[in-house]
Amino acid sequence: MTTKTVVEAKGLTKKHADKTVVNSIQFEVYQGECFGILGPNGAGKSSTMKMMYGSNQITAGDLYILGLNMKQSARQIKSRIGVIPQSDGLDTDFTVLENLLLYASFHGIDRVQASHRADDLLRLMRLDEYSTSPVENLSAGMRRRLAIARGMINQPEVLFLDEPTVGLDPQARTWIWSFLKKIKEEMGTVVMTTHYMEEAEQICDRVAIMDKGRIIAIGKPSELVYNHIGSQVVEFDVKDSDVNYYLNRLSTNNFHYQVIRNQVNVHLSADQDAKNVLNIISGRKVTMRTPTLSDVFLKLAGHDLRDEPL
Amino acid sequence: MIRDAIRLPTPAGSVVKIWSRNFLQFRKSWIANLFWIIVEPIFFLLAIGYGVGSFIPDIENVSYVEFFFPALLCVSSMMVSFFEGTYGSFSKLTYQKTYSTMLLAPIDSKHIVMGELLWCASKGTFSALGVSLVASIFGLMNGLMIVPALIVIFTSSFLFAGLGMLVTSYIRNYDGIIYPTSGIIVPMSLFSGTYFPLEHIPYGLKYVAYALPLTHSVAVVRGLFLESPHWSWLAHLAVLIILGLIVAKIAIRRIDQKLIK
Repeated sequence: MTTKTVVEAKGLTKKHADKTVVNSIQFEVYQGECFGILGPNGAGKSSTMKMMYGSNQITAGDLYILGLNMKQSARQIKSRIGVIPQSDGLDTDFTVLENLLLYASFHGIDRVQASHRADDLLRLMRLDEYSTSPVENLSAGMRRRLAIARGMINQPEVLFLDEPTVGLDPQARTWIWSFLKKIKEEMGTVVMTTHYMEEAEQICDRVAIMDKGRIIAIGKPSELVYNHIGSQVVEFDVKDSDVNYYLNRLSTNNFHYQVIRNQVNVHLSADQDAKNVLNIISGRKVTMRTPTLSDVFLKLAGHDLRDEPL
Repeated sequence: MIRDAIRLPTPAGSVVKIWSRNFLQFRKSWIANLFWIIVEPIFFLLAIGYGVGSFIPDIENVSYVEFFFPALLCVSSMMVSFFEGTYGSFSKLTYQKTYSTMLLAPIDSKHIVMGELLWCASKGTFSALGVSLVASIFGLMNGLMIVPALIVIFTSSFLFAGLGMLVTSYIRNYDGIIYPTSGIIVPMSLFSGTYFPLEHIPYGLKYVAYALPLTHSVAVVRGLFLESPHWSWLAHLAVLIILGLIVAKIAIRRIDQKLIK
């Protein structure tokens, strides 16, 4: 079976003024998968995303979407992809339905077809009751759903979502997660950025973890977790003065660990026995859990506080 | 090469779509628009044209209101197109992110800006048309001359729309619009042979008035209403067209750099 490559980035680089925000990254997205780009704020996710949907210029490298070169065929690419930007970008001068019809007109979709598609999408997004409401009256979750509907009005072959659940309450977030899973089955390829590792684990088939403009790991979430962390994590808290004592004992017993302030995370591979860890740290309160992508990220990117602006 | 340098994005499909979006919005808020672009200039016509004008026996062999009316059309269309290019476009560029969203569709930034410029120019022209219709009740309309007059007004409105969007491309917030408005646009509306003939400006300062684009549109539009055809009109028109193309070209490039970083 041959899988079609939907997105192909080679040496993709983005500089804003003198600052390199995306540093020669390479990745591929295959047809039918949900591909997630993860990382903290300022990692270069959004810049990568914007280059893919033609709102950021490419400083260097190559980017092919649906086999077309972004540098030469941006318009053709844009007519075949759907984009849901982080800021929704709804036209507040118009109603819900008018937003869809206007955007359809920008795509050159004729009126009759546009109105059919808009009705279908509003039903799909549970917005049909609000079709004549001004956009300003919608909740954040409804706005995001409308932005998704707008992104699908041209029946795109691939959907790009930039931080689809940022700023939404848990219900709205869960709804979008299940929607994205469904849409991937029905429609095909989804590319999204997120800084919620949990979100990526839930809905992405493959993820690229970015940090400081580079991709530091790429693969299936379960594989990344298994290869970088193992099968179990044992967490315990220690006082500063005791840290070295415990770390020495863990090291001599060949355990891998990571220290996050005064918390130690011991990473256990499948053949290591948690009992041995418990013996070493006897008497302390411990938590045992399955490892997550967050552990992978903290291990690869460190845990220093990132609060520099984008 | 020269053709490339002066060529603007043609009013192809994309440009029309952008224009239509604005027209739809205009239709939705037509009452507010009516007040701004038509009722307000009519107050000027009444207060200045008829009120102040009643103290002036005649000016260049016509009544003051006849002298003032063509200039009023030029001034109000300038104001409308300039403000649409500043307040309107700046909102869409920043807070509303309208342009960024348009850019997600297969529309280039140059088409967005060109559509906006043509829209702003159209709205300026609507203003002149509306004021003319109301003024026809007062018997101020000179028959078919309104058609060429509106073409000249559209040309100058395109230039002022371009200046507006140029301002938009430089400013960081709405306050930035105040300086060019109070420093350039309002003085221009006063000293371009609008309220009094250029000949009354002392010390050759009247030649400075020729540096103001509005002077040229007032000269032609007033000429169309009150004089017989004159070669100098072509020169005035050429100034408006050439400046309009240059300004549009720069505005398109600058907004493009703002939209696609």
